[in-house]
Amino acid sequence: MSQGPDTLMGKPPVVAPGHTSGSVTDKISSIVLERTPRWWWVGFGIAFLLVQLLLLSLTKLVLEGTGIWGLNIPVGWGFAIINFVWWIGIGHAGTLISAILLLLRQDWRTSINRFAEAMTLFAVACAGIFPLIHVGRPWLAYWLLPYPNTMGLWPQFRSPLIWDVFAVTTYALVSLLFWYVGLIPDLATLRDRSRRKWKKIVYGFGAMGWRGSAVHWHNYEVAYLLLAGLATPLVVSVHTVVSFDFAVGQIAGWHATIFPPYFVAGAIFAGFAMVLTLAIPLRAAFNLQDFITLRHIQNMAKVMLATGLIVAYGYMVEIFMAFYSGNQYEEFMLLNRIGGPYKYHWWALLLCNVLAPQILWIRAVRSRPWIVFLAAMFVNVGMWLERFVIVVTSLHRDFLPSSWGMYSGTFWDWATFVGTIGLFLALLFLFLRFLPMISIFEMRTILPEAKRPKESSS
Amino acid sequence: MAEFSSPAALIAACKATREAGYTKLDAYTPYPIEEVWEAIGHHRSKLPLIVLAGGLAGATAGFLLQYWASVIEYPLNIGGRPLNSWVAFIVPTFETTILFAAFSAVLGMFALNGLPRPYHPVFNVKNFSAASRDSYFLMIGTNDPQFDSEKTRSLLESLGAKEVSEVAE
Amino acid sequence: MTDGLALPADTDLSAPASLDGVRRRAWMVATVGIAASGLGFALDSTQFYRSYLVAWLFWLGIALGCFALGLLHQLTRGAWGLMVRRILGAATRTFPLLALLFIPIVLGMKELYLWAQPEVVAHDELIQQKLWYLEPRFFIARAVFYFAVWISIAWVLNRLSLRQDSERSHKLFRRMQFFAGPGLVLYALTATFASVDWLMSLDPHWYSSIFGISFIGGHAVSALAWLIPVALYFTRRPPLEGLLRPRHFHDYGKLLLAFVMLWTYFQLSQLIIIWSGNLPEEVKWYLARTEGGWKWISIALALGHFALPFVLLLSRDLKRDARRLASVALILLAMRWLDLYWLAAPAFSHGDSHAGLSFHWLDLATVFAVGGLWTAFYTQQLQRRPMLPVFEPYLGEALEDED
Repeated sequence: MSQGPDTLMGKPPVVAPGHTSGSVTDKISSIVLERTPRWWWVGFGIAFLLVQLLLLSLTKLVLEGTGIWGLNIPVGWGFAIINFVWWIGIGHAGTLISAILLLLRQDWRTSINRFAEAMTLFAVACAGIFPLIHVGRPWLAYWLLPYPNTMGLWPQFRSPLIWDVFAVTTYALVSLLFWYVGLIPDLATLRDRSRRKWKKIVYGFGAMGWRGSAVHWHNYEVAYLLLAGLATPLVVSVHTVVSFDFAVGQIAGWHATIFPPYFVAGAIFAGFAMVLTLAIPLRAAFNLQDFITLRHIQNMAKVMLATGLIVAYGYMVEIFMAFYSGNQYEEFMLLNRIGGPYKYHWWALLLCNVLAPQILWIRAVRSRPWIVFLAAMFVNVGMWLERFVIVVTSLHRDFLPSSWGMYSGTFWDWATFVGTIGLFLALLFLFLRFLPMISIFEMRTILPEAKRPKESSS
Repeated sequence: MAEFSSPAALIAACKATREAGYTKLDAYTPYPIEEVWEAIGHHRSKLPLIVLAGGLAGATAGFLLQYWASVIEYPLNIGGRPLNSWVAFIVPTFETTILFAAFSAVLGMFALNGLPRPYHPVFNVKNFSAASRDSYFLMIGTNDPQFDSEKTRSLLESLGAKEVSEVAE
Repeated sequence: MTDGLALPADTDLSAPASLDGVRRRAWMVATVGIAASGLGFALDSTQFYRSYLVAWLFWLGIALGCFALGLLHQLTRGAWGLMVRRILGAATRTFPLLALLFIPIVLGMKELYLWAQPEVVAHDELIQQKLWYLEPRFFIARAVFYFAVWISIAWVLNRLSLRQDSERSHKLFRRMQFFAGPGLVLYALTATFASVDWLMSLDPHWYSSIFGISFIGGHAVSALAWLIPVALYFTRRPPLEGLLRPRHFHDYGKLLLAFVMLWTYFQLSQLIIIWSGNLPEEVKWYLARTEGGWKWISIALALGHFALPFVLLLSRDLKRDARRLASVALILLAMRWLDLYWLAAPAFSHGDSHAGLSFHWLDLATVFAVGGLWTAFYTQQLQRRPMLPVFEPYLGEALEDED
């Protein structure tokens, strides 16, 4: 029944026809249980080298201090915060796909949620590095946590930076829980299907004795829905708090009430771009076109377009309010972005974030994965530029012209950034190799054979 | 313990065994099937209440922590803002609410399901590993008042079970 | 199920005749309200304009919310919206009436808006800088433009939906979807600027860039709070009797909960940012709304527009019970008016924070005057179309009797 209107609307199916519960299980678990393909070693090797670069940069930083970066007065916040916001924004798509789309009963989330959630965890891990190293003395970072101590000091709860500690910690933990809970039934599948004793033990340990009984499934589904309900406002709150890092201050270009919704939309925008950036090559590499179909790519492209429009709305309101406010600092901030020393960054960001995604209005474009991939690459770059523009152009022209300055990243700034990209990719490669990248049990539920009993009973 | 090869057969068997008066039933399936849960005749999960309690505890703890630290233990005038800056405290309070509620959801789910439990007698059933792939099992507890080794076996076989076996406790 | 039709082709889907009775009562309310407002206008024209602005924005918010929700549904095609497509659609055909009802605001512009008073502008440098935007003729031209956009999008979509009924074709939904995307974009832009024009500029020094989104969030709550009681009315009368089921109300309840949370989110974002920034030109806007009696209105909004509906709407049983859900919706509808009042009225004391809160009987009279007229017009529009779009491909799914 539900197939009818979809076909009528010309939508591609969520799973290619002809699959059964058995074939889905075999196909997905084989990626993990079979021999490692050669390209995996190549990809992992490159990522691993970049991780070494990250470790080198971090060692240098700990030995010499933040002076190796391009920070100065007035630009006291540079790459660290830009990269932090960029990574954490990317992470948002995973939670969004797994939680919000679950609540909206969108069955197309199924084959992408597992790996989008993994992406979230890895992106949050990369993001977490930056504030930690940015404190200057990372070994004292635990001072940020509220605990009774002999110094008699407490964190400053009126500061958005402490809100960040709470928000990001909660986000990382809840994402981990959500991901793990989603994995349990699949770990049981891997336990039952792996042939070697040690693999059985490791996967069995993770599965915690999952038996798939009706009681299990019932409590499990309730728990999963509740987690989704909790994760949805959480993910919104995280980027809201990130936006507060800027908006709560009084710097023109930062202090804008539009920031929370506009940052959240930007995060989803960036996150979906990253999911597309990863999913399109992966489905080709693992021959997963049956599971990650054109339907997924089209829908993700639509979400990207919609959130991109909200981001564009944010830019527009910022421009309008700068002139409407009658505030000279607001007005100057904007003119400085349009025509100041960083004007190319600003115009490039408009090209990447506003202009490029508009091609996704066209249906035919959304059905061509590699064009969508290209648009997503534009967005990945554009969202990084957006954070650069927000951080640097707002700071480098201080209220007094005598305090004006310029900023650019040093070699070590770039090395750390590229290093985290390596860390992200390395973790992703490991995940692809050792855990099922698509939720096996959820795939079973969207197969035609699972739908049959439902209809006969109604 | 009976093995079925399709979800429809399992649902039918669940309904039939219930009609035959069995109450101690459980089913093992590779994915959640709502009808099985209904056919076995269970009640609502207690989990939402646990999560609500966890969330309230988190909200209280989060706000009190900030209130205590900023008003009682270490009062400090920051830009003329009141000691009890409740507007600013909303954010961490919200985060602790979610954190506590999420942990209650997961730990509550484990508790209600009796996990972790590395060993369980059903793992000894032949072919049980297929319950996580494409087989559907129905179990009738030996402590069921209706249970009778022979009768139960023949009932299950008449319902189209592929294989019926007994599980030692 | 021939032709993929969810209902037999000869089903009578015309709106119930009992709407005539509703319309008669609406006319009575309108007559009394207009008479009272007229009297009020004669006694105190400034107060009349102030009350009228809030009342007009309240009813406009319902219509715009229905418009936006309808567009969102045309775009996403969830099963939830088909059952109420025509209930939303009727509201979008009331824009011409609402445009007509804008005329009193044009007439009262000088009494409502400081920037329209040359003697104030002459002494206020900041307003002088804003005159490129806050200029009476430009203000009217913009309002004309907003209504032109809303009326034309609503007209196109209503016509396509009607053609879909008469041409008995499945094909037109693609065209409606095609218009819905740009339609939503235009709605968001026009509503944002409208919020600046009609509400934010009441306090011409103050600005907040989230204001437009807040305004839109308010529309979403208004639309659902209106939709749910109307849908309840139809559950007891053919043709929708028996077709609108608890699961539909469950969906509307969830949406209402989501929109209530969104509204709260926008309000809190603005509050936290302005409170923390503590800039004199911004924070005085909050001071005017938290001092004197206004503190109690703020608390009433926090409780009535968020805490109470939030707690109630968490319950699954409540969402599935149309009657109880409708009573929550009615509370929220009242809160929508209070919210607009809270946004607008403190600005009229012009920075005199000791002026305090004082309700005027005209606040109520104008709500009835505009509301009576609008409801009469709305019920008439409801009767013009079949209650369900029979040729929608997903209607079968929407009518399915699961859970």
